[in-house]
Amino acid sequence: MIRLECSTFAYDGGPVVLSGVDLAVEPGGLVHVVGPSGSGKTTLARLLAGQTGAGSGAQFRGALTLGGDRLGFTGGPADPRIDPAAWSSTVAYAAQRTEGQLSMMSATVAEEIAFGPANRGMPTGELRAAVQATAARLGLTDVLNRDPRRLSGGQLRRTIIAAAVVGNPRVLILDEPFQGLDAGSRAEVARTLEVLRAAGTALVICAPMLPGSVAPHSRVLALAGGRPVFDGTFAQARTAGLERYAIGTEGSAPDLRRAPAAPAVPPRRQVQAGTPLAELSGVSFSYRGENSRRQEKVLRGVDLRVDPGDIVGLTGVNGSGKSTLLQHLNGLLRASSGTVTVAGQPLGRRTAVGRLAGAVGYLFQDTDQQLFERTVLREVAYGPAAAGAGRETAQERARTALAAVGLGHTAGEHPYELGFVERRLVAFASLIASGPAVWVLDEPTAGLDQRGRNRVGDLLLDHAAAGGAVVLATHDGAFADALCTRILELKDGRIFSGGARRGAGGA
Amino acid sequence: MPRRRVFNPLTELLAAALLVVLVLVVNTWQFSLAVLVVAVLPGVLLSGKPRQITLAIAVTAGPLLISSFFLHGLFFPEGTTVLAEWGPARVTAEGLQFAALTGLRLAVFTGVLLTAALTVSIPELVSTLTHRRWNRRLVFVLGSAVGLLPHVAERARQITRAQQARGLVVGGSISARVRGLLMVSVPLVTGLLIDAAERTQLLEARGFSSPGPRTNYLPDTDTAGQRTARWLMAAGVLAFGCAWYAVGAGR
Ligand SMILES: Nc1ncnc2c1ncn2[C@@H]1O[C@H](COP(=O)(O)OP(=O)(O)OP(=O)(O)O)[C@@H](O)[C@H]1O
Ligand SMILES: [Mg+2]
Repeated sequence: MIRLECSTFAYDGGPVVLSGVDLAVEPGGLVHVVGPSGSGKTTLARLLAGQTGAGSGAQFRGALTLGGDRLGFTGGPADPRIDPAAWSSTVAYAAQRTEGQLSMMSATVAEEIAFGPANRGMPTGELRAAVQATAARLGLTDVLNRDPRRLSGGQLRRTIIAAAVVGNPRVLILDEPFQGLDAGSRAEVARTLEVLRAAGTALVICAPMLPGSVAPHSRVLALAGGRPVFDGTFAQARTAGLERYAIGTEGSAPDLRRAPAAPAVPPRRQVQAGTPLAELSGVSFSYRGENSRRQEKVLRGVDLRVDPGDIVGLTGVNGSGKSTLLQHLNGLLRASSGTVTVAGQPLGRRTAVGRLAGAVGYLFQDTDQQLFERTVLREVAYGPAAAGAGRETAQERARTALAAVGLGHTAGEHPYELGFVERRLVAFASLIASGPAVWVLDEPTAGLDQRGRNRVGDLLLDHAAAGGAVVLATHDGAFADALCTRILELKDGRIFSGGARRGAGGA
Repeated sequence: MPRRRVFNPLTELLAAALLVVLVLVVNTWQFSLAVLVVAVLPGVLLSGKPRQITLAIAVTAGPLLISSFFLHGLFFPEGTTVLAEWGPARVTAEGLQFAALTGLRLAVFTGVLLTAALTVSIPELVSTLTHRRWNRRLVFVLGSAVGLLPHVAERARQITRAQQARGLVVGGSISARVRGLLMVSVPLVTGLLIDAAERTQLLEARGFSSPGPRTNYLPDTDTAGQRTARWLMAAGVLAFGCAWYAVGAGR
């Protein structure tokens, strides 16, 4: 049994971010912790994982109970120190940021998964069997020999989950384990977790929204502003009116200001005559592999035309090549054959990526790959400044973009001090600030809370209505259905039309 | 493309270290040159990443080589055979010879060590040391220290990509490249520091510091033959060194 009693918790010198929580999970129990951005989910997950922040000046008042031992904390120097090695032998934790969790000592996914149990001395034979079984359950068998730094976003997420479950922990804390997973992988992960739970593992799953469906007997703890606002069964949670705390339900349609049913899109035929904002024709691509045997093509003759007013949704399973395709639109990757045209100019081998930034803005799948500046304002002003705008102008545009995503108040903060959703929106603002006509967004809604998701939806519609275009990769079907003028599916390196959507329906 | 591995990393690292010792013991420019041509050059060419290694060698040894050449080539007080003279600067044959000696030695050191370090497979090294039951903390400190190199390179690549996606144009003139490098290094260092704090915690959460013996996913690639060879090599170099000094050739 694990129990967290948290009267207050504050990071070094900061305000209280979590208070009044009392969460106990029995063996075989499952608790979904839901809450919007900044509600304290990750803090709660970290506390359960034994990270009380004692070394970094955080103040925790409360208690942690694991098995029969109750450790009391008063926020003073005399507080007990949790031995991470001992704690983690019972409590496994998979954090929200995937890339930061790689051990850096593994050349392959298999070694990465094996890292935890190997540290605890599981014999090599047993270890190999356990790794292979876990990989098979999570659909990772094909990538076991790959470099973990060269995986798609969803493959990496599954690797991190595999690493957390491989040791059959008695308690498992997962911070947004489903973020960026396709429907099939979600089901695989859910099934794997269910097997563990049935065998007696206590599970805590944090997510920004209520899951669409859950295992029976599971409980929901909703947080808002660092306080619990609901604790009960899933059925009760659905009718408890959690929307008032901006806690939505996964898979529900976004709530948009601008009615997508009345698109301000010019009729398609007329648009086809003009020059597209961006176009791929016959694009093929393969990664120059670390593994020379694996030279298979990720893209095989892809055609894509992006016109003003388009919102193109790109779907496909994890590893199908969505991110790969998107990176061709701003020149981060160069086609092995075929042509890419941006703003009427064909892309040459030597066209600098930076020269395209004014025409195509890119939102990376992994936010932490995108942010690099010291303050939010500098981060967002980077694009306009690089494009030659003066300091004042650049900052002005940055402020406007920040206001557009609702983060005007964070201008002076360090991007790393913000929560996940805010960092995501800062990255989005930094794209908007450069004013490109084409927005290329890699899973823009992954991990967002309801408010953020709605806001992003509104921004996309406004941008398209103003004559811009959007191409987004997504696993969020409801979002794509509500917004996209076209939905395409990427499969075996080719594009399939998922049927014409909103725009065509109205025209 | 990584090269096909012939020996266990431990054997390769030991061989590299012993080569450095030999060069130090013999200490003639002819021997250093021979090692450079016979061992380092083929090693770099066959490594599978000659460009990367050459660059690393140039960056680390280049400035030292140049400064040593100027220092000893132009101002060598013991030099008697004067070849040219400008004011206080005298080019002497002895000076040039000394510069060549130190320069070659330096080139061998960096060449051997960098080639070994950049081609060694870290997971395999860690696995070997684990299987050999070395002190586990040491092994993992070592492993993460070496593993940091590719990690830093990856981070730098990500930051450049992000900056380019927002309008940074790299390439072109040298000054533009230097500026690009500076633009990367500041966020790189801050990012790494933030990363490091978080990663340490997350590694702890995966039993990184748990007591007791540790195992490894990779099978043991070390063989009894190689273990014997390592002892023999070390003993051989030791014996040779003693003999060399005893005979007095080591003056
Ligand atoms: N840098 C890389 N080097 C080598 N292979 C890569 C690299 N990045 C991705 N791949 C591989 O290319 C394929 C396509 O990856 P991509 O990231 O485009 O998928 P994706 O559709 O975006 O998936 P996800 O939904 O998980 O984000 C995958 O098999 C992936 O493992
Ligand atoms: Mg992707």
